[in-house]
Amino acid sequence: MNIAKKIKILLQEAELYHSQGLLNEAMEKYNNAKELIQSNEQLKTNQNLINGISKKILALKEDINKIEKAPKKPEISGKMQDLIKKMVSFSPDKNEDLKALDGAIALAKFGQIKRAISEFNELIKTDSLRIVAAKNMLRCHMALSSMDEAVAQYEQWTSDQRFSTIQLDKLRVFLENILKKEGVEKKLPKREPPKDSIDQDQVEGPDVEEDADIIDINSMGITIYRGPNKGQVVEFKVKFQLGNKVSLLIPIRDKDLIDVFKVGDIINDIQYYSAAALYRGSGTVTSVKEIKIGPLRGDYCVDIKILLK
Amino acid sequence: MAIFNIKKKEIECKIVYYGPGRSGKTTNMEYLYKTYKKQVVGEMVSVDTEGDRTLFFDFLPMGLGQIKGFDIRVQVYTVPGQVQYSSTRKLVLKGVDGVIFVADSLAVRREKNMLSLKDLQHNLKEYGINILKIPLIMQHNKRDLAEQGLPLMSIEQMERDLNRQLKVPSFSASAITGDGVGATLKECLKLTLLSFKKQFKSG
Repeated sequence: MNIAKKIKILLQEAELYHSQGLLNEAMEKYNNAKELIQSNEQLKTNQNLINGISKKILALKEDINKIEKAPKKPEISGKMQDLIKKMVSFSPDKNEDLKALDGAIALAKFGQIKRAISEFNELIKTDSLRIVAAKNMLRCHMALSSMDEAVAQYEQWTSDQRFSTIQLDKLRVFLENILKKEGVEKKLPKREPPKDSIDQDQVEGPDVEEDADIIDINSMGITIYRGPNKGQVVEFKVKFQLGNKVSLLIPIRDKDLIDVFKVGDIINDIQYYSAAALYRGSGTVTSVKEIKIGPLRGDYCVDIKILLK
Repeated sequence: MAIFNIKKKEIECKIVYYGPGRSGKTTNMEYLYKTYKKQVVGEMVSVDTEGDRTLFFDFLPMGLGQIKGFDIRVQVYTVPGQVQYSSTRKLVLKGVDGVIFVADSLAVRREKNMLSLKDLQHNLKEYGINILKIPLIMQHNKRDLAEQGLPLMSIEQMERDLNRQLKVPSFSASAITGDGVGATLKECLKLTLLSFKKQFKSG
Protein backbone atom coordinates (compact mmCIF):
# COMPACT_ATOMS: atom_id res chain seq x y z
CA MET A 1 0.00 0.00 0.00
CA ASN A 2 1.46 3.36 -0.90
CA ILE A 3 2.00 5.93 1.78
CA ALA A 4 -0.68 8.34 0.56
CA LYS A 5 -3.29 5.63 0.79
CA LYS A 6 -2.07 4.62 4.26
CA ILE A 7 -2.38 8.20 5.46
CA LYS A 8 -5.84 8.53 3.93
CA ILE A 9 -7.02 5.39 5.75
CA LEU A 10 -5.55 6.59 9.05
CA LEU A 11 -7.30 9.94 8.72
CA GLN A 12 -10.61 8.30 7.83
CA GLU A 13 -10.33 6.01 10.84
CA ALA A 14 -9.49 8.96 13.05
CA GLU A 15 -12.62 10.81 11.86
CA LEU A 16 -14.80 7.78 12.48
CA TYR A 17 -13.39 7.17 15.96
CA HIS A 18 -13.96 10.84 16.72
CA SER A 19 -17.57 10.52 15.60
CA GLN A 20 -17.91 7.50 17.91
CA GLY A 21 -16.65 9.58 20.83
CA LEU A 22 -13.48 7.49 21.00
CA LEU A 23 -11.22 10.48 21.38
CA ASN A 24 -8.01 8.74 22.45
CA GLU A 25 -8.29 6.27 19.60
CA ALA A 26 -8.86 9.15 17.15
CA MET A 27 -5.86 10.97 18.58
CA GLU A 28 -3.66 7.91 18.09
CA LYS A 29 -4.66 7.64 14.44
CA TYR A 30 -4.01 11.35 13.78
CA ASN A 31 -0.61 11.05 15.45
CA ASN A 32 0.21 7.96 13.36
CA ALA A 33 -0.73 9.85 10.21
CA LYS A 34 1.36 12.86 11.23
CA GLU A 35 4.39 10.69 11.98
CA LEU A 36 4.07 8.98 8.59
CA ILE A 37 3.96 12.33 6.83
CA GLN A 38 6.94 13.68 8.74
CA SER A 39 9.01 10.59 8.00
CA ASN A 40 8.42 10.84 4.27
CA GLU A 41 10.80 13.01 2.26
CA GLN A 42 8.18 14.01 -0.30
CA LEU A 43 5.37 14.73 2.13
CA LYS A 44 7.17 16.30 5.05
CA THR A 45 7.29 19.64 3.27
CA ASN A 46 3.50 19.63 2.83
CA GLN A 47 2.90 22.13 5.60
CA ASN A 48 -0.81 22.48 4.82
CA LEU A 49 -1.39 18.79 5.48
CA ILE A 50 0.65 18.81 8.69
CA ASN A 51 -1.08 21.96 9.93
CA GLY A 52 -4.50 20.49 9.17
CA ILE A 53 -3.73 17.39 11.22
CA SER A 54 -2.17 19.43 14.02
CA LYS A 55 -5.38 21.47 14.25
CA LYS A 56 -7.42 18.28 14.54
CA ILE A 57 -5.10 16.99 17.29
CA LEU A 58 -5.40 20.27 19.16
CA ALA A 59 -9.21 20.19 18.94
CA LEU A 60 -9.20 16.63 20.23
CA LYS A 61 -6.93 17.59 23.12
CA GLU A 62 -9.38 20.34 24.05
CA ASP A 63 -12.30 17.89 23.96
CA ILE A 64 -10.42 15.40 26.14
CA ASN A 65 -9.53 18.19 28.53
CA LYS A 66 -13.16 19.31 28.77
CA ILE A 67 -14.24 15.78 29.61
CA GLU A 68 -11.55 15.39 32.24
CA LYS A 69 -12.39 18.72 33.82
CA ALA A 70 -16.18 18.25 33.78
CA PRO A 71 -17.61 17.97 37.31
CA LYS A 72 -17.72 14.31 38.29
CA LYS A 73 -20.77 14.66 40.50
CA PRO A 74 -22.75 17.78 39.60
CA GLU A 75 -26.01 18.70 41.29
CA ILE A 76 -28.89 17.08 39.39
CA SER A 77 -32.65 17.55 39.27
CA GLY A 78 -34.91 16.50 42.14
CA LYS A 79 -36.52 13.93 39.85
CA MET A 80 -33.17 12.29 39.20
CA GLN A 81 -32.31 12.42 42.90
CA ASP A 82 -35.58 10.62 43.67
CA LEU A 83 -34.61 8.02 41.13
CA ILE A 84 -31.25 7.47 42.83
CA LYS A 85 -33.09 6.82 46.08
CA LYS A 86 -35.48 4.45 44.38
CA MET A 87 -32.68 2.62 42.62
CA VAL A 88 -30.65 1.76 45.71
CA SER A 89 -33.61 0.94 47.91
CA PHE A 90 -34.73 -1.72 45.45
CA SER A 91 -34.87 -4.57 47.94
CA PRO A 92 -37.68 -6.71 49.26
CA ASP A 93 -35.96 -7.51 52.55
CA LYS A 94 -35.65 -4.14 54.23
CA ASN A 95 -38.00 -2.00 56.22
CA GLU A 96 -38.87 1.52 55.08
CA ASP A 97 -36.50 3.21 57.54
CA LEU A 98 -33.50 1.27 56.27
CA LYS A 99 -34.53 1.92 52.68
CA ALA A 100 -34.70 5.63 53.45
CA LEU A 101 -31.26 5.46 55.03
CA ASP A 102 -29.86 3.62 51.98
CA GLY A 103 -31.40 6.29 49.77
CA ALA A 104 -29.84 9.14 51.73
CA ILE A 105 -26.42 7.45 51.77
CA ALA A 106 -26.66 6.89 48.00
CA LEU A 107 -27.51 10.56 47.45
CA ALA A 108 -24.35 11.46 49.35
CA LYS A 109 -22.30 8.97 47.32
CA PHE A 110 -23.68 10.44 44.10
CA GLY A 111 -22.53 13.86 45.28
CA GLN A 112 -26.03 15.21 46.00
CA ILE A 113 -24.84 16.50 49.34
CA LYS A 114 -27.42 19.21 50.06
CA ARG A 115 -30.33 16.86 49.46
CA ALA A 116 -28.57 14.12 51.46
CA ILE A 117 -28.22 16.48 54.44
CA SER A 118 -31.91 17.23 54.29
CA GLU A 119 -32.74 13.49 54.16
CA PHE A 120 -30.41 12.66 57.07
CA ASN A 121 -31.99 15.49 59.04
CA GLU A 122 -35.35 13.78 58.62
CA LEU A 123 -33.91 10.39 59.59
CA ILE A 124 -32.59 11.82 62.85
CA LYS A 125 -36.23 11.80 64.00
CA THR A 126 -36.13 7.98 63.89
CA ASP A 127 -34.68 6.66 67.16
CA SER A 128 -32.94 3.64 65.70
CA LEU A 129 -31.24 5.63 62.92
CA ARG A 130 -30.38 8.80 64.85
CA ILE A 131 -26.66 8.19 65.31
CA VAL A 132 -25.96 6.82 61.85
CA ALA A 133 -27.93 9.65 60.26
CA ALA A 134 -26.18 12.25 62.40
CA LYS A 135 -22.71 10.89 61.60
CA ASN A 136 -23.50 10.89 57.89
CA MET A 137 -24.85 14.41 58.17
CA LEU A 138 -21.59 15.56 59.73
CA ARG A 139 -19.66 13.81 56.96
CA CYS A 140 -21.80 15.60 54.37
CA HIS A 141 -21.02 18.98 55.95
CA MET A 142 -17.34 18.09 55.80
CA ALA A 143 -17.70 17.04 52.14
CA LEU A 144 -19.04 20.50 51.40
CA SER A 145 -15.72 21.69 52.89
CA SER A 146 -17.69 23.23 55.65
CA MET A 147 -15.93 22.24 58.84
CA ASP A 148 -17.55 25.14 60.66
CA GLU A 149 -20.98 23.93 59.54
CA ALA A 150 -20.24 20.47 60.95
CA VAL A 151 -19.14 21.93 64.26
CA ALA A 152 -22.14 24.29 64.36
CA GLN A 153 -24.43 21.37 63.62
CA TYR A 154 -22.95 19.35 66.49
CA GLU A 155 -23.24 22.31 68.83
CA GLN A 156 -26.88 22.72 67.85
CA TRP A 157 -27.51 19.06 68.73
CA THR A 158 -26.09 19.54 72.21
CA SER A 159 -29.28 21.40 73.08
CA ASP A 160 -31.50 19.04 71.09
CA GLN A 161 -33.29 16.79 73.60
CA ARG A 162 -33.73 14.01 71.03
CA PHE A 163 -30.05 13.19 71.52
CA SER A 164 -29.08 11.47 74.75
CA THR A 165 -25.84 12.42 76.47
CA ILE A 166 -24.21 9.16 75.43
CA GLN A 167 -25.27 9.65 71.82
CA LEU A 168 -23.83 13.15 71.88
CA ASP A 169 -20.59 11.83 73.35
CA LYS A 170 -20.32 9.38 70.45
CA LEU A 171 -20.92 12.15 67.95
CA ARG A 172 -18.42 14.42 69.68
CA VAL A 173 -15.66 11.77 69.57
CA PHE A 174 -16.56 10.98 65.97
CA LEU A 175 -16.37 14.62 64.89
CA GLU A 176 -13.23 15.35 66.88
CA ASN A 177 -11.52 12.43 65.16
CA ILE A 178 -12.51 13.68 61.72
CA LEU A 179 -11.32 17.18 62.57
CA LYS A 180 -8.04 15.73 63.85
CA LYS A 181 -7.55 13.89 60.54
CA GLU A 182 -8.07 17.23 58.80
CA GLY A 183 -5.38 18.74 61.01
CA VAL A 184 -7.78 20.64 63.25
CA GLU A 185 -7.33 20.13 67.00
CA LYS A 186 -10.62 21.24 68.48
CA LYS A 187 -12.31 20.33 71.74
CA LEU A 188 -16.04 20.28 71.23
CA PRO A 189 -18.45 21.12 74.03
CA LYS A 190 -20.05 18.30 76.05
CA ARG A 191 -23.49 18.22 77.48
CA GLU A 192 -23.38 17.52 81.20
CA PRO A 193 -25.95 14.90 82.23
CA PRO A 194 -28.42 16.01 84.93
CA LYS A 195 -27.21 14.55 88.24
CA ASP A 196 -30.48 13.03 89.39
CA SER A 197 -31.63 11.55 86.10
CA ILE A 198 -30.93 8.24 84.46
CA ASP A 199 -29.79 8.62 80.89
CA GLN A 200 -32.04 6.74 78.54
CA ASP A 201 -29.06 4.90 77.07
CA GLN A 202 -28.54 3.24 80.42
CA VAL A 203 -31.94 1.62 80.25
CA GLU A 204 -32.33 1.04 76.52
CA GLY A 205 -30.78 -1.83 74.64
CA PRO A 206 -28.46 -1.21 71.72
CA ASP A 207 -30.16 0.04 68.58
CA VAL A 208 -28.85 -0.09 65.02
CA GLU A 209 -26.21 2.46 65.85
CA GLU A 210 -23.54 2.34 63.22
CA ASP A 211 -19.86 2.67 63.47
CA ALA A 212 -19.58 3.99 59.97
CA ASP A 213 -15.80 3.66 59.89
CA ILE A 214 -15.96 -0.11 59.88
CA ILE A 215 -14.65 -1.96 56.85
CA ASP A 216 -16.87 -3.72 54.31
CA ILE A 217 -17.15 -7.40 55.18
CA ASN A 218 -17.70 -9.85 52.32
CA SER A 219 -17.90 -13.06 54.32
CA MET A 220 -17.35 -14.46 57.80
CA GLY A 221 -15.82 -17.68 59.07
CA ILE A 222 -17.63 -18.84 62.20
CA THR A 223 -16.68 -21.82 64.35
CA ILE A 224 -19.98 -23.55 64.99
CA TYR A 225 -20.58 -23.52 68.71
CA ARG A 226 -23.80 -25.50 69.06
CA GLY A 227 -25.49 -28.52 67.50
CA PRO A 228 -24.28 -31.46 65.40
CA ASN A 229 -21.68 -29.42 63.50
CA LYS A 230 -20.05 -28.03 66.66
CA GLY A 231 -16.36 -27.30 66.11
CA GLN A 232 -16.57 -26.95 62.34
CA VAL A 233 -15.63 -23.66 60.71
CA VAL A 234 -18.30 -22.54 58.26
CA GLU A 235 -17.97 -19.58 55.92
CA PHE A 236 -21.05 -17.39 55.54
CA LYS A 237 -21.49 -14.79 52.84
CA VAL A 238 -22.59 -11.38 54.05
CA LYS A 239 -25.77 -10.38 52.23
CA PHE A 240 -26.06 -6.92 53.68
CA GLN A 241 -24.03 -4.63 55.91
CA LEU A 242 -25.00 -1.48 57.73
CA GLY A 243 -22.05 -0.19 59.70
CA ASN A 244 -21.12 -2.77 62.29
CA LYS A 245 -24.20 -4.86 61.68
CA VAL A 246 -24.14 -7.62 59.07
CA SER A 247 -26.88 -9.88 57.80
CA LEU A 248 -26.23 -13.48 56.80
CA LEU A 249 -28.68 -15.39 54.66
CA ILE A 250 -28.97 -19.07 55.52
CA PRO A 251 -31.09 -21.30 53.27
CA ILE A 252 -33.71 -23.44 54.96
CA ARG A 253 -31.91 -26.56 53.73
CA ASP A 254 -29.17 -25.70 56.26
CA LYS A 255 -31.56 -25.94 59.21
CA ASP A 256 -28.76 -27.28 61.42
CA LEU A 257 -26.87 -24.03 60.90
CA ILE A 258 -29.92 -21.84 61.47
CA ASP A 259 -30.50 -23.58 64.82
CA VAL A 260 -27.01 -22.62 65.97
CA PHE A 261 -27.85 -18.93 66.25
CA LYS A 262 -29.93 -17.60 69.13
CA VAL A 263 -30.50 -13.91 69.80
CA GLY A 264 -28.02 -12.67 72.41
CA ASP A 265 -25.33 -15.28 71.65
CA ILE A 266 -21.83 -13.88 71.81
CA ILE A 267 -19.69 -15.53 69.14
CA ASN A 268 -15.97 -15.49 69.76
CA ASP A 269 -13.20 -15.92 67.23
CA ILE A 270 -14.97 -14.88 64.04
CA GLN A 271 -12.86 -14.40 60.92
CA TYR A 272 -14.08 -11.39 58.95
CA TYR A 273 -13.05 -11.31 55.31
CA SER A 274 -12.98 -7.96 53.53
CA ALA A 275 -11.86 -7.42 49.93
CA ALA A 276 -8.37 -6.60 51.14
CA ALA A 277 -7.72 -8.43 54.37
CA LEU A 278 -8.75 -10.88 57.04
CA TYR A 279 -9.72 -9.59 60.45
CA ARG A 280 -10.47 -11.43 63.67
CA GLY A 281 -13.10 -10.44 66.13
CA SER A 282 -16.27 -11.42 67.89
CA GLY A 283 -19.93 -10.67 67.40
CA THR A 284 -23.35 -10.69 69.01
CA VAL A 285 -26.40 -12.26 67.39
CA THR A 286 -29.04 -9.50 67.36
CA SER A 287 -31.77 -11.09 65.29
CA VAL A 288 -32.75 -14.41 63.69
CA LYS A 289 -35.72 -14.06 61.37
CA GLU A 290 -37.45 -16.17 58.79
CA ILE A 291 -37.99 -14.46 55.43
CA LYS A 292 -41.72 -14.47 54.81
CA ILE A 293 -42.05 -13.21 51.24
CA GLY A 294 -40.26 -13.31 47.91
CA PRO A 295 -38.09 -15.93 46.26
CA LEU A 296 -36.09 -16.47 49.46
CA ARG A 297 -39.22 -17.24 51.48
CA GLY A 298 -38.46 -19.81 54.16
CA ASP A 299 -34.75 -18.95 54.35
CA TYR A 300 -33.41 -17.21 57.43
CA CYS A 301 -31.72 -13.89 57.95
CA VAL A 302 -29.27 -13.75 60.87
CA ASP A 303 -28.08 -10.31 62.02
CA ILE A 304 -24.77 -10.06 63.83
CA LYS A 305 -23.26 -7.00 65.44
CA ILE A 306 -19.54 -7.25 64.81
CA LEU A 307 -16.64 -6.31 66.99
CA LEU A 308 -13.20 -6.31 65.40
CA LYS A 309 -10.09 -6.85 67.51
CA MET B 1 -33.31 -8.83 43.78
CA ALA B 2 -36.81 -8.77 42.31
CA ILE B 3 -39.71 -7.50 44.37
CA PHE B 4 -42.70 -9.83 44.50
CA ASN B 5 -45.79 -7.95 45.62
CA ILE B 6 -48.37 -10.61 46.29
CA LYS B 7 -51.10 -8.09 47.21
CA LYS B 8 -50.72 -6.08 44.02
CA LYS B 9 -49.93 -9.26 42.03
CA GLU B 10 -46.81 -7.59 40.67
CA ILE B 11 -43.25 -8.66 40.03
CA GLU B 12 -40.67 -5.92 39.64
CA CYS B 13 -37.20 -6.75 38.43
CA LYS B 14 -34.05 -4.88 37.50
CA ILE B 15 -32.02 -5.29 34.32
CA VAL B 16 -28.68 -3.50 33.93
CA TYR B 17 -26.79 -2.75 30.71
CA TYR B 18 -23.07 -2.98 31.46
CA GLY B 19 -20.03 -2.48 29.26
CA PRO B 20 -17.11 -0.19 28.48
CA GLY B 21 -17.56 3.52 27.81
CA ARG B 22 -18.98 4.40 24.39
CA SER B 23 -19.97 0.78 23.65
CA GLY B 24 -23.61 1.76 23.03
CA LYS B 25 -25.49 1.06 26.26
CA THR B 26 -27.43 4.34 26.17
CA THR B 27 -28.07 3.89 22.44
CA ASN B 28 -29.60 0.49 23.18
CA MET B 29 -31.92 2.12 25.70
CA GLU B 30 -32.80 5.00 23.39
CA TYR B 31 -33.80 2.50 20.74
CA LEU B 32 -35.99 0.61 23.21
CA TYR B 33 -37.61 3.88 24.28
CA LYS B 34 -38.36 4.88 20.70
CA THR B 35 -39.48 1.51 19.46
CA TYR B 36 -41.29 -0.30 22.27
CA LYS B 37 -43.72 2.49 23.15
CA LYS B 38 -46.38 0.03 24.26
CA GLN B 39 -44.07 -1.53 26.82
CA VAL B 40 -42.50 1.69 28.06
CA VAL B 41 -44.42 2.90 31.11
CA GLY B 42 -42.65 6.19 31.85
CA GLU B 43 -40.04 8.63 30.68
CA MET B 44 -36.48 7.62 29.94
CA VAL B 45 -34.28 9.44 32.41
CA SER B 46 -30.74 10.24 31.43
CA VAL B 47 -27.98 12.52 32.65
CA ASP B 48 -25.15 13.11 30.24
CA THR B 49 -21.94 14.89 30.96
CA GLU B 50 -19.44 16.54 28.64
CA GLY B 51 -19.09 14.65 25.35
CA ASP B 52 -22.43 12.81 25.68
CA ARG B 53 -21.06 10.44 28.27
CA THR B 54 -23.47 8.91 30.74
CA LEU B 55 -22.90 10.52 34.10
CA PHE B 56 -24.70 8.43 36.71
CA PHE B 57 -27.01 6.07 34.83
CA ASP B 58 -29.91 5.98 32.40
CA PHE B 59 -33.26 4.63 33.46
CA LEU B 60 -36.23 3.27 31.55
CA PRO B 61 -39.31 1.75 33.20
CA MET B 62 -41.05 -0.97 31.21
CA GLY B 63 -44.09 -3.18 31.66
CA LEU B 64 -44.26 -6.56 30.01
CA GLY B 65 -47.88 -7.43 30.60
CA GLN B 66 -48.96 -10.38 32.70
CA ILE B 67 -47.53 -13.80 33.39
CA LYS B 68 -49.77 -16.14 35.40
CA GLY B 69 -51.79 -13.19 36.66
CA PHE B 70 -48.76 -11.19 37.77
CA ASP B 71 -47.89 -7.84 36.21
CA ILE B 72 -44.23 -7.87 35.19
CA ARG B 73 -42.55 -4.52 35.67
CA VAL B 74 -38.96 -4.01 34.61
CA GLN B 75 -36.57 -1.29 35.64
CA VAL B 76 -33.90 -1.00 32.95
CA TYR B 77 -30.68 0.79 33.85
CA THR B 78 -27.38 1.50 32.15
CA VAL B 79 -24.14 2.10 34.02
CA PRO B 80 -21.64 4.83 33.19
CA GLY B 81 -18.88 3.10 31.26
CA GLN B 82 -16.00 5.47 31.94
CA VAL B 83 -13.35 3.89 34.14
CA GLN B 84 -13.51 6.61 36.82
CA TYR B 85 -17.16 5.84 37.64
CA SER B 86 -16.45 2.48 39.24
CA SER B 87 -18.27 3.20 42.49
CA THR B 88 -21.33 4.43 40.58
CA ARG B 89 -21.40 1.23 38.54
CA LYS B 90 -21.38 -0.78 41.72
CA LEU B 91 -24.30 1.21 43.14
CA VAL B 92 -26.34 0.78 39.97
CA LEU B 93 -25.80 -2.97 40.11
CA LYS B 94 -27.36 -3.21 43.56
CA GLY B 95 -30.31 -5.59 43.47
CA VAL B 96 -29.75 -6.53 39.82
CA ASP B 97 -31.67 -9.51 38.41
CA GLY B 98 -30.27 -9.70 34.90
CA VAL B 99 -27.32 -8.17 33.04
CA ILE B 100 -26.74 -7.33 29.38
CA PHE B 101 -23.06 -6.86 28.62
CA VAL B 102 -22.67 -4.54 25.64
CA ALA B 103 -19.29 -5.23 24.04
CA ASP B 104 -17.79 -2.91 21.46
CA SER B 105 -16.93 -4.71 18.21
CA LEU B 106 -14.23 -2.21 17.24
CA ALA B 107 -10.84 -3.91 17.26
CA VAL B 108 -9.31 -0.94 19.11
CA ARG B 109 -11.70 -1.54 22.02
CA ARG B 110 -10.77 -5.17 22.59
CA GLU B 111 -8.93 -4.59 25.85
CA LYS B 112 -11.62 -2.21 27.17
CA ASN B 113 -14.24 -4.95 26.69
CA MET B 114 -12.21 -7.43 28.69
CA LEU B 115 -11.49 -4.95 31.47
CA SER B 116 -15.14 -4.02 31.71
CA LEU B 117 -16.22 -7.65 31.93
CA LYS B 118 -13.70 -8.18 34.71
CA ASP B 119 -15.07 -5.09 36.45
CA LEU B 120 -18.58 -6.54 36.16
CA GLN B 121 -17.43 -9.81 37.69
CA HIS B 122 -15.74 -7.95 40.53
CA ASN B 123 -18.72 -5.71 41.27
CA LEU B 124 -21.16 -8.62 41.21
CA LYS B 125 -18.90 -10.53 43.57
CA GLU B 126 -19.00 -7.60 45.98
CA TYR B 127 -22.74 -8.24 46.23
CA GLY B 128 -22.18 -11.98 46.61
CA ILE B 129 -23.34 -12.74 43.05
CA ASN B 130 -21.49 -15.24 40.90
CA ILE B 131 -21.22 -14.04 37.31
CA LEU B 132 -21.70 -17.62 36.15
CA LYS B 133 -25.06 -17.82 37.90
CA ILE B 134 -26.78 -14.52 37.16
CA PRO B 135 -28.88 -14.23 33.98
CA LEU B 136 -26.36 -12.64 31.60
CA ILE B 137 -26.50 -11.88 27.88
CA MET B 138 -23.60 -10.79 25.70
CA GLN B 139 -24.23 -8.27 22.96
CA HIS B 140 -21.61 -7.67 20.24
CA ASN B 141 -22.55 -4.13 19.30
CA LYS B 142 -21.60 -1.81 16.43
CA ARG B 143 -21.54 -4.54 13.78
CA ASP B 144 -22.75 -1.89 11.28
CA LEU B 145 -19.39 -0.10 11.46
CA ALA B 146 -17.81 -2.74 9.23
CA GLU B 147 -19.58 -1.03 6.32
CA GLN B 148 -17.69 2.15 7.07
CA GLY B 149 -14.38 0.35 6.80
CA LEU B 150 -13.44 0.33 10.47
CA PRO B 151 -11.58 -2.76 11.66
CA LEU B 152 -13.96 -4.89 13.70
CA MET B 153 -13.23 -8.04 15.64
CA SER B 154 -14.83 -11.18 14.31
CA ILE B 155 -17.66 -12.64 16.35
CA GLU B 156 -15.49 -15.72 16.91
CA GLN B 157 -12.73 -13.62 18.41
CA MET B 158 -15.17 -11.73 20.65
CA GLU B 159 -16.68 -14.99 21.81
CA ARG B 160 -13.20 -16.31 22.58
CA ASP B 161 -12.27 -13.15 24.46
CA LEU B 162 -15.44 -12.67 26.43
CA ASN B 163 -17.64 -15.71 26.36
CA ARG B 164 -15.33 -18.72 26.39
CA GLN B 165 -15.95 -19.47 30.03
CA LEU B 166 -19.31 -17.80 30.54
CA LYS B 167 -21.01 -19.51 27.57
CA VAL B 168 -24.00 -17.20 27.82
CA PRO B 169 -26.35 -16.41 24.93
CA SER B 170 -24.90 -13.74 22.66
CA PHE B 171 -26.27 -11.47 19.95
CA SER B 172 -24.77 -9.41 17.17
CA ALA B 173 -26.26 -5.96 17.23
CA SER B 174 -26.23 -2.43 15.98
CA ALA B 175 -27.91 -0.28 18.58
CA ILE B 176 -27.95 2.68 16.21
CA THR B 177 -30.07 0.80 13.64
CA GLY B 178 -31.83 -1.35 16.22
CA ASP B 179 -30.59 -4.67 14.88
CA GLY B 180 -30.44 -7.21 17.70
CA VAL B 181 -31.52 -4.73 20.39
CA GLY B 182 -34.96 -6.18 21.07
CA ALA B 183 -33.72 -9.75 20.79
CA THR B 184 -31.00 -9.10 23.38
CA LEU B 185 -33.41 -7.67 25.94
CA LYS B 186 -36.00 -10.34 25.25
CA GLU B 187 -33.49 -13.11 25.91
CA CYS B 188 -32.31 -11.43 29.10
CA LEU B 189 -35.88 -11.12 30.37
CA LYS B 190 -36.54 -14.75 29.48
CA LEU B 191 -33.51 -15.92 31.47
CA THR B 192 -34.38 -13.62 34.36
CA LEU B 193 -37.95 -14.89 34.63
CA LEU B 194 -36.71 -18.48 34.37
CA SER B 195 -34.30 -17.78 37.16
CA PHE B 196 -37.18 -16.50 39.36
CA LYS B 197 -39.10 -19.65 38.59
CA LYS B 198 -36.14 -21.78 39.68
CA GLN B 199 -35.70 -19.76 42.88
CA PHE B 200 -39.38 -20.20 43.68
CA LYS B 201 -39.19 -23.94 43.16
CA SER B 202 -36.09 -24.36 45.30
CA GLY B 203 -37.43 -21.92 47.97
